[in-house]
Amino acid sequence: MKLKAEYQNIHVTLGGTEILKGLSVQVPEGMVTGIAGPNGCGKSTLVKTTFGICPYRQGEILVDGVPVRRMGRKKLAREVGYVGQDSGSVFDFSVYEVVEMAVPPQWDRQKRKEAVESALRELGLLPLAGRGIQTLSGGERKMVFLARALAQDVDFIILDEPTNHLDIRRQLFLLDYLKRSGKTILIVLHDLRLASHYCDFLYLVKEGKAVCRGTPMEALTEEHVMEVFGVAGRAVERPEEGRDFLLHMP
Amino acid sequence: MFPVKAGAKTRRRSLRQALLFPALAFFLLFSIVYTISIGSSDIPAMEVFGILKDQLFQGGRELAQGAWPVSHYQIVWNIRLPRVLFGVLCGAGLSLCGAVMQALVLNPIADPYVLGISSGASAGAAWALLMPLPFFNGQYQTTLAAMCGALLSSFTVYFMARAAGGGRLRPVSLLLSGTAVNAVMSAVTSFLIFLAKSPESIAAVYNWQMGSLASAQWATLAFPCAAVCSGLVIFTVLGSRLNLLMMGDEDAAAMGMSVKAFRTMMFFLCSVLVASLISVTGLIGFVGLVVPHIVRILSGTSNNRAVLPLSALFGGAYLIWADAIARSAFGSAELPIGIITAFVGAPFFLYLMIRKKYGGTG
Repeated sequence: MKLKAEYQNIHVTLGGTEILKGLSVQVPEGMVTGIAGPNGCGKSTLVKTTFGICPYRQGEILVDGVPVRRMGRKKLAREVGYVGQDSGSVFDFSVYEVVEMAVPPQWDRQKRKEAVESALRELGLLPLAGRGIQTLSGGERKMVFLARALAQDVDFIILDEPTNHLDIRRQLFLLDYLKRSGKTILIVLHDLRLASHYCDFLYLVKEGKAVCRGTPMEALTEEHVMEVFGVAGRAVERPEEGRDFLLHMP
Repeated sequence: MFPVKAGAKTRRRSLRQALLFPALAFFLLFSIVYTISIGSSDIPAMEVFGILKDQLFQGGRELAQGAWPVSHYQIVWNIRLPRVLFGVLCGAGLSLCGAVMQALVLNPIADPYVLGISSGASAGAAWALLMPLPFFNGQYQTTLAAMCGALLSSFTVYFMARAAGGGRLRPVSLLLSGTAVNAVMSAVTSFLIFLAKSPESIAAVYNWQMGSLASAQWATLAFPCAAVCSGLVIFTVLGSRLNLLMMGDEDAAAMGMSVKAFRTMMFFLCSVLVASLISVTGLIGFVGLVVPHIVRILSGTSNNRAVLPLSALFGGAYLIWADAIARSAFGSAELPIGIITAFVGAPFFLYLMIRKKYGGTG
C-alpha cells in the first residue's frame, strides 16, 4: 500500500499548551483516511500543520515522500488541496471567482474557464456561479470551497469537518463524491456513523495522541470509543447496508 | 443533483466590469477638463480643452496666434492643471491604499490611515508647524516631518503587531496596534498644540489636518506621480494574491502564499505611498475608505484585479471634484478639502449602500 502522505511524530505547542504530542498518521494513496476525536483533541491542528498554518516543533510531514518543509508553499499547493473548517471571506466574491482562485495561474483563459465550470458542474453549483458567496447558506458555501479544491487539479485533498453546515442529503452527496473520486482524502469528521461508512482507515485521537488506527471496524470498538469519547458505541458490519455505527444510549 | 445551466449573472458582472473601465476613464478625463474650468476666474471648459490640446499636441501654436488670453493659459496650464493632476494622483493613491489596507487587515472599514499613518503624520506636521527648526525652510520642513512621523508610526505598528502575534502578523494584531499608536500620536499632537503659544500656528495645524491640494506645482508632481503609478501597477499585478489574502490567512497559506512576507511587503508599500502623499497634502479623509466600496458596488465584484484600477480612476475623479467644490463654493475663501470629501462622499455612499442593499462586503 503506497503512502501519499505521512505525518511522523508531530508535536505542536500553541500558546504554551502542547496540542499534539507525537501524533503520527499515514495516508494511503487513493483512499479515504479519517481522523475523529473529541473537541480540542488536535484533529484540526494536525491538518493545519501541513500548510504551516500551525507550526510544528518536532516531527516530519511527507507528501509523496518529500518533506513539506523542503517543498515550498507553491509546490505544496499544486499537490494538496484544502477545505478548511471556516473557509469564507468577509468580502463578497462571486462563486466563480472563488473557485477560479485555485486554478493554476499558468493555464490559459479557456482552460481556466473549463476547469472552473467543470468543478462547479461536478457539484451541481453552476447555477450559483454568479452569486456572491456572502449570499449563500453555510452549506452551499462549503460546497463552493470543495469545488475550489477540485479546480486546483490535485489528487490529494484535506478536509477539515466538511460536513458541518450541510444537510443530510448534501453530507451523503459530498462524502459519496469524495469516495468515488479516486483521490487521496484526509478528512476530519465528527460524525462516527459517516466515518464508519465512508472511511477506509480511521484514526481516533485523544489529547494529541492517536489512541488507535485501522479500518473503521478495527478502530471503532466498544473499548476505543469508550476511551476516546466516554460513550458506549461500536461499528457494525451489516451484509446489506454496509458499515454503520451503533451508539448504545444509556 | 442540481439543474445545470450557465450562470447568466457571471456574464452580466463581466459585462458591467468591462463597461465600467472605459466609462470611468472617460469620466476622469472629462472631470480633469471641467474642474480646471471651475474657479475664481471663469474659463469655459471648451477653452480649457483647447489650451490643453494646444500645449500637448501643437506645442503652443494657437497660444502664439492669440487664440486665448495669456492669463488664461497661465491659470490653466501653470496653476490649475498641476493642482488637478496632483488631485488625481492623491485620490488614486489613497483609494488604492484603502482597498489594499482593507484586504491586508481583512476588514471592510479599514482605510489608509487605520495603521497609524495619519496620526503619525499629524504629530510630525504639528511639530514642524509649532516648533520649527530655525535652519530649515518651513514648507519642506512640514512635509519632511509629516513623512517621518507617518513612517515612524507605521514601523511601530508593524513591530508591535509582530511582537503581539508571536512572530506572526495577524490582522487583528495590526488593527489593535494601529489603534494604540493612533491614540499615542494623537495625544502627542494634542500636547504640542497645548504647548503652542501662537493662535496662527495652532490654526495652521488644524488646517493641515483637514487637507489641501494648494501646494501642487509642476516641479513637485514627479515624485507622487512615480509613486502612485508604481503603486497602481504593483498592486494590480498582485491583485490575485490580494484576493487570496481576502479569503483569510489559513486559506491563503493553503493556496501557496507566504502570508507574512506578502502582508509585510504590502504594508510597507502602502505606508510609503500614503506617507508620501499626505505629507504634502495633509490629511484627506474618507476617500480611501469609501471609494473601494463604491467601486465594489458599481462593478459587482470584490476582485482586486478590477477593484484596484477602478478605484484609482474613481478616486482620482472624486478628489478633483471635491477640490473644485472646495476652491469655488465660498468665493475666494478656500475650504479644506477634507470637509468636502466627507460631506459629499458620505451621503453618496449611504445612498448607494441603501439602494443596492450593500452590507459593506460586496
